[in-house]
Parts: sequence; structure tokens; C-alpha cells
Amino acid sequence: MEKLDFFAPRVSADTKEFWEGCKEHKLKIQRCKQCGKLRWPAAYLCPDCLSEETEYTELSGEGTLYSYVVFHKPFHPSLQEKVPYVVGEVDLEGGVRLITNIVNCKPEDLACDKKVRMKWMDCEEYTKPVFELREEI
Amino acid sequence: MAETDFRNKIAIVGVGYTPQGKIPGRTAVGFHCEAIRNAIRDAGIEKEDIDALLLYRHFDAIGGDAETTAFTVSEQLGIDPSVVSQEKYCTRSWLYHSVGMLASGLCKYVVISYGDNARSGRRSFVKELSGNKATDELAAYGDLSTMAKYAMLSRRAMEKYGTGPDVWKEIAIAQRAWAELNPRAAMKNKPLDDQGYYDSSYIVEPLRLLDATPNSDGGRAIVLTTAERAKEMGQKAVLIRGFGSANKTASPFRLDVYDENSAAAVASRKAYAMAGVTSKDIDACELYDCFTYTVEATLRDYGFFKPGESKEFLTRKRLGPGGEFPVNTSGGMLSEGYFMGLTPVSEAVMQLRGECGERQLGVYPNTKKPELIMCSDNGAVFQSNLALILERGES
Repeated sequence: MEKLDFFAPRVSADTKEFWEGCKEHKLKIQRCKQCGKLRWPAAYLCPDCLSEETEYTELSGEGTLYSYVVFHKPFHPSLQEKVPYVVGEVDLEGGVRLITNIVNCKPEDLACDKKVRMKWMDCEEYTKPVFELREEI
Repeated sequence: MAETDFRNKIAIVGVGYTPQGKIPGRTAVGFHCEAIRNAIRDAGIEKEDIDALLLYRHFDAIGGDAETTAFTVSEQLGIDPSVVSQEKYCTRSWLYHSVGMLASGLCKYVVISYGDNARSGRRSFVKELSGNKATDELAAYGDLSTMAKYAMLSRRAMEKYGTGPDVWKEIAIAQRAWAELNPRAAMKNKPLDDQGYYDSSYIVEPLRLLDATPNSDGGRAIVLTTAERAKEMGQKAVLIRGFGSANKTASPFRLDVYDENSAAAVASRKAYAMAGVTSKDIDACELYDCFTYTVEATLRDYGFFKPGESKEFLTRKRLGPGGEFPVNTSGGMLSEGYFMGLTPVSEAVMQLRGECGERQLGVYPNTKKPELIMCSDNGAVFQSNLALILERGES
């Protein structure tokens, strides 16, 4: 797998648990203890019922590709060697949609709604969930 | 008060232009001041008449320039308005603020202004990084630039609703043809054909360089007042027959490509209801076109065609000069200049005043003198939308 080590994310008090979970290779997503709804991006309150009672649940990482783009232009000098690379949006269970990288694929093999599976990518300063196409069974 | 009570109650009575395109050696504040001066002269009012000055969303200053603030602009114009305000982010709330101040009688004249030295200053639209440091989580995936967010929705639309580069090129080419008729347009004398579009390189695929609005130097301002006061003024008034604003506050990656309750859909429904018209009554559109796909999505969400009909509806023949449904007759932000929502609004006002020269609707062959023009202002990534239906006032 090519290493897409970009920039260490800026982590906030709300997103700390997610990124620490990544380091342990756990996809931890917030769930409202009051109404049970999953939420991403992480936030202090549930945007549905406004409760701050929050727990974390671990998602399996099976999903479908909502959409994707291929970066051709390096928007930073450090990306010169990395283009072209793919950024995708993946729908996971419970209505959670993540921004991520799609790896181990040729862009022409991608299509919206294809099944994808998560893998962990350990970068120098952070670990992130990335996805690859799942073999059709 | 019912929303329909606001129908034709507010008028746009002045528009101010500046030199635009590549104008090196000037500040954003200077462009604001020049545009505002020209707008109040166009309206026939004095600078002391400005009760409220609202600056458009302003990006960070470039190249060591001082921050552009409404205070600085007021100071340099030598005015002390009752209300001095500015939108820091891309919410499009200027019209609601203006209507509130004018309809209540608290203010007589409101000025909206935009200015930037973005082209000479080579403004970047990468806000996910500050130097080499991430400002958010998206940089961890290399998800940089506003363009990437639009490209994401463009891709999904391409696969699900039968659009794509062969449709987007029609929008780019139609607007370039309009720009050819506009002496102010940055892209005048730069004709574009199919090959030229396809030769332009992918930035974030599926969007190419020519799908994106280039940066401009320059400024633009408008003057708003009540329709009643407008009647007593020298300048031809253009009335705001209906308007609506709406926000969809989901992060761009959570937006669905087609949503019947998108910000644009909701905003336009409010505007049609207030105006008492439907999309069929609209003679032309002047739309916020940060990307070609933005024009497509806006026309679709405003009800001009249905999802899946992009290819048959969006042709250069229909949208361009002499076409049955003129869109972005100045060349738009893509080919005229990037002054945010004031690019479409000022062009609509000029078309309704009949001051567009060669490209004037009703003068250019096979076009009709417009009565109603739909304008859009779009903020962030389809998250904020303002729809305005402008009507020619009595003259």
C-alpha cells in the first residue's frame, strides 16, 4: 500500500477520542446515549436531541463509496510526489459518512456505490482509516 | 407581516464597478472604496446618506496587507454609518439584514460591497492548511481546497444524473461567448471551444481548470433602499420581487448530490412564493458560478430542469447569446470577474435597466427584453443560498 502520509490532523477536544482510537486501530464514533444516533463529525452535543450524554461505539469499517475525486494538482509542495491520489466519501453503518483516502486501486476502477473495506494506515505522526475496494462476492 | 408583503418593497438603485481583472498594485480596501463611491454616484446619493455598510464575506488579507474591515473602508470613505458590518464566513445573509434595516425604517440606504486583490495577490483557496500545519482534519487525507468539495458532488452527479465534462463545457463555452460581448469581462477576446475546454488540465478530477472561476482584482458594490424612496430618485430602480435564503449546515462531505431540501431548493421556493411566480416566468438567470457544476446544480434545484435532464437542457445554444434561456450574460464569475454574489446581482440590475450594450437582452438578436431575472448567491459548498427575483421597475 502506498503511504499517503499527508499532514497530522488538527485535533480538537471533540475529535480527540476518534484520533486516539485510530492509533489503537479502533474506529470509534460517537453515539448519543439518549437517542442512540451516531454522529460524525464529532461534537459536544447530539445535533438531534441536544443531549451531551455521549458514548463511543466501534464501527466495523465496511462501507460503500458515496463519491470520490482524483487530486491531480498538488495544493502543497510536499504533494508533488503524491499526486495523483484519491479522496473519497464512504458511507458506513448508522448514517456516518467519512472523508478518507481510497487506496490500492486505479482511479478508473472506482465507481460510486462500490463496496469498500477499511484498512489502517500508520503515518509518522498519526494513524488514519483508509479504504480499498472490496471484492464482489 | 406575511412574506408576500415584502414583494417589490426593496429596490436596488445603484451599482458600482471598478477596473477589474489583473490590476496590480492595489489593495482590497481600495477596491471596496472605489466600488462604493461609484455605486453611490450611480444612485445619486451622497456618502453621508449611507446608513449601513455591509461588507461581503472577506478572505484573509494577502501579502502583508492590513485586514480588510468595514471600519477601514468606512474610514477611507470618510463616513460614519449607523451600522457597519461584515460577513466573515460564507453565509449569505446580507439581503435579510438589508431588508430588516430598510423595511423597518431604521435605515434609508444600505450599501453592500465586495473587493479583493485576489488575482495579483495569487489568493489560494486552501484553508485546510496554514503553512505546513493542518487547520482541520481534512488535511490528513490531502483533502485540500474548496474545489475538491465541489468536485466530489460533481462526480456523484456525473455517475447518477448523466452529467459530466460534456455538459460542463457547454456552460463554460456559453458564458465565454457572453463575455465576448462584455467590455469589462476578463475573458473577452479569449474564445473557448470544445478542444480548449478538454485541453485544460484536471485540477481535482472530474473538474478542470476551466470549470473553476479564476481570481479577479477589483470591487463591486450596490445600493439598496425602499421601493417607495426609489421612485423619488433619479436612477432607474430595479425591484426585488421575491427573495429567500436558506442554509444547509452539514459539512460538505455530508451533503447529498441531489436533495429536494438543499439550500438552493428551499431558498428558491421562498423566492417564488414571495414573488408569486414560477420558474416558467423567469426570463434569464444570473447565477453564482464558482464552478460550472454550481450553475448546473443551481438551475436544477431552482426548478428549471429535473435531475437527469442536464444533457438536454444545458446546451450552449440555449444558455448562450441568442439562446432561449440566457444564463450569466456578463460572462459570470467564470468569464467576467469574481465579485461573489455581486457579479450576478449587478448584471441582473444592468440588464433590467437596459444598460448592457451589445449583450443587452432584447437588443441582441433573438433575445427578449427581460421583465424578471433570477439571481443566486451561493456560499460555502452549496451550504448557503440566497435566491433573488429581480423585476424591472417603472421608468
